[in-house]
Amino acid sequence: MKNIIIGIAVFATTLSACNNSSDKSNEAKNKNSDSVITSSKTNQEPTKVTTSVKDIIDGYLQMKNALVNDNGSDAANAGKTIMTAVDKMDTSSLSDQQKKSFADVADDIKENAQHCSVNGNKIEHQREHFEMLTQDMYDLVKSAGAGQTLYYDHCPMYNNGKGANWISEIKEIKNPYLGKKMLTCGSVKEALK
Amino acid sequence: MKLIKKILLAILIVLVAIQFIQPGKNNSNEILPTDISKQFSIPESVQAVLKTSCYDCHSNNTRYPWYSFIQPGAWWMASHIKNGKADLNFSEFGSYSTHKQQSKLKSIANTINDGSMPLSAYTIIHNTAKLSKENKALVIDWATKMKDSLSQKIKL
Repeated sequence: MKNIIIGIAVFATTLSACNNSSDKSNEAKNKNSDSVITSSKTNQEPTKVTTSVKDIIDGYLQMKNALVNDNGSDAANAGKTIMTAVDKMDTSSLSDQQKKSFADVADDIKENAQHCSVNGNKIEHQREHFEMLTQDMYDLVKSAGAGQTLYYDHCPMYNNGKGANWISEIKEIKNPYLGKKMLTCGSVKEALK
Repeated sequence: MKLIKKILLAILIVLVAIQFIQPGKNNSNEILPTDISKQFSIPESVQAVLKTSCYDCHSNNTRYPWYSFIQPGAWWMASHIKNGKADLNFSEFGSYSTHKQQSKLKSIANTINDGSMPLSAYTIIHNTAKLSKENKALVIDWATKMKDSLSQKIKL
C-alpha cells in the first residue's frame, strides 16, 4: 500500500511539472498596436489588381455558386480556397489606402471563410457567414477593384425580410440565400467594375 | 474478482493522480485596453448579462466554481474556454478590425437568437447563465444596433 501511495505522488509530481500552461493575456496588447504594413516598394499603378485579389474573388464566386446549388460541401471547399488566397495575397502592388482597407477586411474574410469551410453539412450556417463575407468582399472590391464586371445583388426576403446582398459575375439573378426554392428572387443594385 | 479489484484500483489511482494536474487558469484580473467596455459604451444592463452568461468562456476572466477544480472536469472546462476565446474574446474585442467586430456582433445576435449560445452544456451546470426571453432580446437589440453604428463608421 505504501508503494502505491508513493507511486501516486511521484506520478502526480511528474505530470504537474509538465503543466505550466499559463494564459498569456499580454498577447492582446501586442496585437492591438496598429498593424502597420511596411512596404518599401512604391506604386506606379495604384489601381492595378494583383492576381491574388482576383483569387479571393474567384473563391467567393465559387462559394456563391455552390450556395446557389444548395451544395454545402462545395461551399466548404470554396471557403478553403478563399483562406489560401487571403494568406498568399501579395499586397505590394496596392496603394497605402488599399493596403489599409485590405488589412481591415482580411481577418474577417478568413474567419468567415473558415466557418464556411468547416460547416459543409450546415448550409444555413454557411449562408449566415456568406452574408458577412459579402460585406467584406464588397468593401474589398470597392477599394481594390474587381478586374472584371461584377453585380451587387439584393435579396429582399432573406433574414425574415431584413434582406441580404451578394456579389455575382453574371447579370442574371441566381439567389444563393434561398437556393432552389427562390432561385430568381432578387435584383441588381449596382454594377461593380 | 481479483482482476476487477485491480482494474478498479488502477482507475482510482489515475483519478487521484490527475487531481494534481490543474490546467492554467483563465484569470488575468486586469482589464485590457482592448476590452470591449474600454472602447464602446455598453449599457449596464447589457454588460451585466454578458458578464453572467458569456464572459466565463469569452473573456480573459473566468469565474471558477468549486467543482471546476475537480479533474477531469477542469480539462473539459479549459478546452471550452480555449475554443470560446478563439471565436470571440470580449477582452480583445478592440483589437479586431471593424469588419470583424461587425461580424462578431452579428454572430452574437444570430447565435443567441437560434439558441446555440450560451451552450446548453454550460447552462445545465450554470443555471444563472441561462438567458431569459427579455435578456435575449436585450442583447440581440444591443448587438444589432452596435453593428449598424459600426457599418455607418465604415461608410464615413
